[in-house]
Amino acid sequence: MEATFLLTLLITFLASFIGYELISKIPQTLHTPLMSGSNAISGITLIAAILIYPEVGDSQILQIIVLIAIAFATLNIVGGFSVTGRILGMFKKND
Amino acid sequence: MIEIILLISAVLFIFALKLFGRPSTAHRANSFAMLAMALAVFSAFNFDFSKYDSAFYITIVVSGLLGVLISKRVQMTQMPELVGLFNGFGGGASGAIAYVELSNTSLPISDVFVAIFSMVIGIFTFSGSLIAVLKLRGKLNNFSTKLGNIFSVFLPTILIIPAVLEMDTFLNEFIILVALIAGVIRVAVIGGADMPVVIAFLNSLSGIAAMSAGFIVNSIILIVAGALVGASGIILTLLMCAAMNRTLLDVLKGGFGTTTTNNEYDKDPISTSPEDVAIQLSYAESVVIVPGYGMAVAQAQAAVKELTNTLKDKNIEVKFAIHPVAGRMPGHMNVLLAEVDIDYEDMFTLEDINSEFSSTDVVLVLGANDVVNPLARTDEESPIYGMPILDVDLAKQVVVLKRSMSPGYAGIANPLFINHNAKMLFADAKEGLENIIKSFELV
Repeated sequence: MEATFLLTLLITFLASFIGYELISKIPQTLHTPLMSGSNAISGITLIAAILIYPEVGDSQILQIIVLIAIAFATLNIVGGFSVTGRILGMFKKND
Repeated sequence: MIEIILLISAVLFIFALKLFGRPSTAHRANSFAMLAMALAVFSAFNFDFSKYDSAFYITIVVSGLLGVLISKRVQMTQMPELVGLFNGFGGGASGAIAYVELSNTSLPISDVFVAIFSMVIGIFTFSGSLIAVLKLRGKLNNFSTKLGNIFSVFLPTILIIPAVLEMDTFLNEFIILVALIAGVIRVAVIGGADMPVVIAFLNSLSGIAAMSAGFIVNSIILIVAGALVGASGIILTLLMCAAMNRTLLDVLKGGFGTTTTNNEYDKDPISTSPEDVAIQLSYAESVVIVPGYGMAVAQAQAAVKELTNTLKDKNIEVKFAIHPVAGRMPGHMNVLLAEVDIDYEDMFTLEDINSEFSSTDVVLVLGANDVVNPLARTDEESPIYGMPILDVDLAKQVVVLKRSMSPGYAGIANPLFINHNAKMLFADAKEGLENIIKSFELV
């Protein structure tokens, strides 16, 4: 997925705007699950790690750093979604 | 094909955020977000799984399992720490990726700037979050603001060292070091009760770091998801700041509540006993419970539920009034109450319940302090003046369950404690509640 820089900026702006609009009316009760859920989403930086891993070449140090990034991002994603599921489970049983 | 998968993923992320906004749909939001994430990660492989060696797959599997393990074992009262920890990992990952990209000499100059930005934000989020976790665990309580200020002057000074020495090797490593120290210092000087703002702010930064990593590797989905997280984090940050009537800058400056103001009382509070509270409650028709950080520390949520059941069995109306910054992260009290099956219909926000206090028979304040301090309304000199508070002093009777008369985070006296309609029950939140419940059996 390639695009010109301006188009990318436009997408960035639109995504931020949508994020802002969608979240601005969220009730206080859901602040924690929202935060923990969006926190898990920020682990999407895993994609960047996957994309650059085959390209780091022979440098062992860089390869290890990318592996650390992969470990961190995976922890963030899996742990984040798992804990969000736990929190939301407590709200669900109240219905 | 990949483009279509990515498009679906982006749409799912947006829908997930939408669903997060309502209690009845929020549990589906998580599944949507997980599916969106799975699609996005899958597409990054571009159907070529053979490019990756076993070290890569082992890392993913092991850290994934570790993530599940940690998240299942942690207690609900430790949720702020856990969210902070995972957040730090996300920021650290973005920072590390930016570092690796910067080591790539063929990077275009515009990307170099984005990469440095991403690296600084990511590393700052990493070290800042780890310090936030330590602070939430009660370590690092006495970090002086003075030390923070010295470092704030010191940091820009060491920043010009590379320029002076015409350093061109290890420049990136140097920037990382500075970002690490900056994260540590910035968060270390901020007090525990400001953590809801800090956690939300760091959450936003981790999204921004991921977004800028998306610019470097040219991934639209990374930019979109990162921007969504960045925006939602900023909203929570601003909401938390508004709830304290302070600016983000003021919070990040730290040192709140360390100035010694007058915290003497001109008369003694009226102390009460669990038996008297039980009698008082049993004659009430409406009761409002105001939970604060003291409830979380004492792990008193189960006792709260038991008391609620006891009161409801006697046909007494029970409501919960939750201040936006009660606890250590946004929505902290709501989660703890939900954990013990208290209906979210019974949890009320400040705007919704403030007009009801004057007709409430008994308000039970459970380990909350500054958020019920009437000085915020009356004393223009007070550091908390103008902060929206729960007007519990207007209720017919108030019982404050607290271990001592010690001031709260703002470091000021709370005239509510000596108000004519208020009584103090000096106890740990859990013990105090359990004793009240026991006394009910005798009433």
